[in-house]
Amino acid sequence: MTSDPNLHGSKTEELIVEASEALRSRKPSRMVRIGDHLKREWQIYLLLLPTILWLLIFLYKPMYGLQIAFKDYSVFRGVAGSAWVGLEHFQTLFSNDQFLRALRNTVIISFYGLIFGFPMPIFLALMFNEILHQTFKKTSQTIIYLPHFISSVIIAGIVITAFSPSAGIVNTVMGWFGIDPIYFLTKPEWFRPIFVGTGIWQEAGFQSIVYLAAIAGVSPTLYESAVVDGASRWQMMWKITIPSILPTIIIMLIIRIGNMLEVSFEMIILLYQPATYETADVVNTFIYRQGIQGGQYDLAAAAGLFNAVVAFVLVMSANTISKRYSRTSLW
Amino acid sequence: MRKLSLTLAILGTTAMTAPGFAQDRSDLRIVDEPVEFTIHMHWPRAQGYGVGGDASKVYPVEEVARELTGISLKDATAGKNSTDSNEAMNLLIAQGDMPDIVGGHLIQQPVNEFGPQGAFVPLNDLVKEHAPHIQAFWDSHPGLQEAISAYDGNYYYIPYLPDGKYGRAWFVRQDWLDKLGLEQPQNVDELHDALVAFRDQDPNGNGLKDEIPYFARQWEEVNRLLTLWDARSSGSDTYHDFYVNDDGKVVHPYAQEAYRVGLSNIAQWYAEGLIDPEIYTRGSSSRDYLLGENLGGMTHDWFASTSGYNAALSDKVDGFNFIPFLPPASVSGVRMEEHRRIPIKPDGWAISHQAEDPVNVIKYFDFWFTEYGRLLSNFGVEGKTWDMIDGEPVYKPEVLNSDSPVNSQMYLEGAQIQRGYWQDYRYEWQWTSEAAREGIELYDSEDLLIDQFLGVALNEAEQKVYDKYWPSLRTYMLERQQAWVLGTGDVTADWDEYIATLNKMGYEDVTEVMNTAYARQYGG
Repeated sequence: MTSDPNLHGSKTEELIVEASEALRSRKPSRMVRIGDHLKREWQIYLLLLPTILWLLIFLYKPMYGLQIAFKDYSVFRGVAGSAWVGLEHFQTLFSNDQFLRALRNTVIISFYGLIFGFPMPIFLALMFNEILHQTFKKTSQTIIYLPHFISSVIIAGIVITAFSPSAGIVNTVMGWFGIDPIYFLTKPEWFRPIFVGTGIWQEAGFQSIVYLAAIAGVSPTLYESAVVDGASRWQMMWKITIPSILPTIIIMLIIRIGNMLEVSFEMIILLYQPATYETADVVNTFIYRQGIQGGQYDLAAAAGLFNAVVAFVLVMSANTISKRYSRTSLW
Repeated sequence: MRKLSLTLAILGTTAMTAPGFAQDRSDLRIVDEPVEFTIHMHWPRAQGYGVGGDASKVYPVEEVARELTGISLKDATAGKNSTDSNEAMNLLIAQGDMPDIVGGHLIQQPVNEFGPQGAFVPLNDLVKEHAPHIQAFWDSHPGLQEAISAYDGNYYYIPYLPDGKYGRAWFVRQDWLDKLGLEQPQNVDELHDALVAFRDQDPNGNGLKDEIPYFARQWEEVNRLLTLWDARSSGSDTYHDFYVNDDGKVVHPYAQEAYRVGLSNIAQWYAEGLIDPEIYTRGSSSRDYLLGENLGGMTHDWFASTSGYNAALSDKVDGFNFIPFLPPASVSGVRMEEHRRIPIKPDGWAISHQAEDPVNVIKYFDFWFTEYGRLLSNFGVEGKTWDMIDGEPVYKPEVLNSDSPVNSQMYLEGAQIQRGYWQDYRYEWQWTSEAAREGIELYDSEDLLIDQFLGVALNEAEQKVYDKYWPSLRTYMLERQQAWVLGTGDVTADWDEYIATLNKMGYEDVTEVMNTAYARQYGG
């Protein structure tokens, strides 16, 4: 390595000139820079455009309507024409035992989903990665992805049939061991396991694709040198694969926590009964019954806004914690 | 040119085969120069005013109405991509630009809510001055106009008015009764014995104890058994509705003493295995399944459709005979059929505040209440689907013998759609099966029906109270009801705490506003 003393000097000079110029006319120069940048990279911005439009139209514009959470909303009078009522709808919600119960159920069901549902796709991806027989691997992957593509209505039908006390496979198998049939879908204590289990069965396979992609991105040279060092497959999984996909896992976890209150309520509506409301009724089903069916859009908006605020707090905290302890974060 | 001659040819044939046209119906003409009104028409069978919801295909009935009245309707339906009529109505109102006529499914609640706010035209005076046939209907059917009125005393829509009295009935496998040597149960004890016999004596003869004595397509129908202990399950053809008690007060059936007794008995029957153990989850196909597999013994369901299984299953199930029987007498000896057809539906049509010519719109609404308009709205185009024989409208054989049900055929003609019209029971009777006709005659021979609660129109303050408390109350009532039937909890032991909770949750506030509104509306 040779060093040219002149080069060093001229570079410093250049920097000083640029800095003083920038000081004199900061704004135009930045504008020019952005303009140049856009000119150079316009194809990429063009690709971004549809997403930005989508965000503006479908996520930002509707925020205008959020104000109905604080209004006595009439469809005919419109958003602007309805009278303000302050926090009345929030008071109504929080003085309602059923809303509080729904909130508790939402948190519990989400928590179960997180504990049991989140590790499953990672586990599946790691397992798939270890399968050497290609045909077997592809076949089992396809089978495990399938439930994702079946509509919730059909899945609910399958679940109801499977757990039926007279003809369901679960009770039939229990019958072989002399256990009396259980009418699972009317037992509050069984609702959460069935719901969370159904969710895992339906989605775990498909969610494992993200992790499979992350695993595929791990440099093969790492494994090659590990093999040279005499590492076992188990050691390679623990020491190479998992640490390499950890950032993906963290990002997925943060997203998951942000969506925690968004329990797939269409599935709950299909599976629950008044008999199981005690453990099954979540915020979204409560909103549906109380707000949408009852035509109380303002109350529904208040509950939805509350949901969003909680989700925001959750995702912010998850991100901060992750940034502090693992240096991986969404932003 | 070709198109024109084709039209002429069709007109020619119609004129030849339809002597009705030859008659002078110029008195039905409303306007001299043709006028066009826009219409929102959203209902389960069609989202749009045209054959199957397709606005480009004009209903044959609409063609004739145009010819006769000079008024044609042009489709302007909102929310066509949704089958939810409530949603479509909200969309229509929210978008601000309303057509002249707003019609379809479940419009009563929105027109009564937004009418007083100015979205719809009050019809009281318009009808009095310009719609003699509608007015004549109100005059001959006292109480109905009040029932559809909003809280301000005006009414804002012309409803679809069903004809005929009976809806659901009690059905039993008569062949099972015969096989076990039993008579049709005449009271609650005999009913219990018959159900026990169905459970224990293997009436389907397959050697297995797999019979389901009482089942229902809608789990709510299990509550009909409440009437056997003089309790009620609902006051109208909507489940879990309020009813008017003997003192003339609006109350909810699930807060009455009789309900406690009735429900404890239902829970008992459920525990004994007399009621489908899967009653809450078996769902809408249970009638198909349990009858088709020769398992179900008794149910409470619609006359026409349930009688239809006799023909459908005659090959599959040997000796299948599922027929209506009279409601068994209750513990106090009352025979009651709680379900009946409601005389007014929340469906129909209204005039929006943006209609420029409400007088001609109401005259057009009135046209459908004239004798010929009513025939047109019920049976379709004369000469095409029906003929007048000895003063009676009679369907053509090809309509009655078609693979497609008569009502489905009518929907495509533009008849029996949810405009404001008065149904004619002769329409349905013609294609009701023999078994159902016999059942209806049987039910007609006794005094079984009870008056229906037609609902109340709440003002804004009352509506607020109702909205605040009622959905949660209803949830709580149903939750406890299912728990008691399933045996988690005992209705007798829990009763005082249950009533206390209802009161804490605002039951009395809700019944108070209901009764205030009821007194205002019906002058009670």
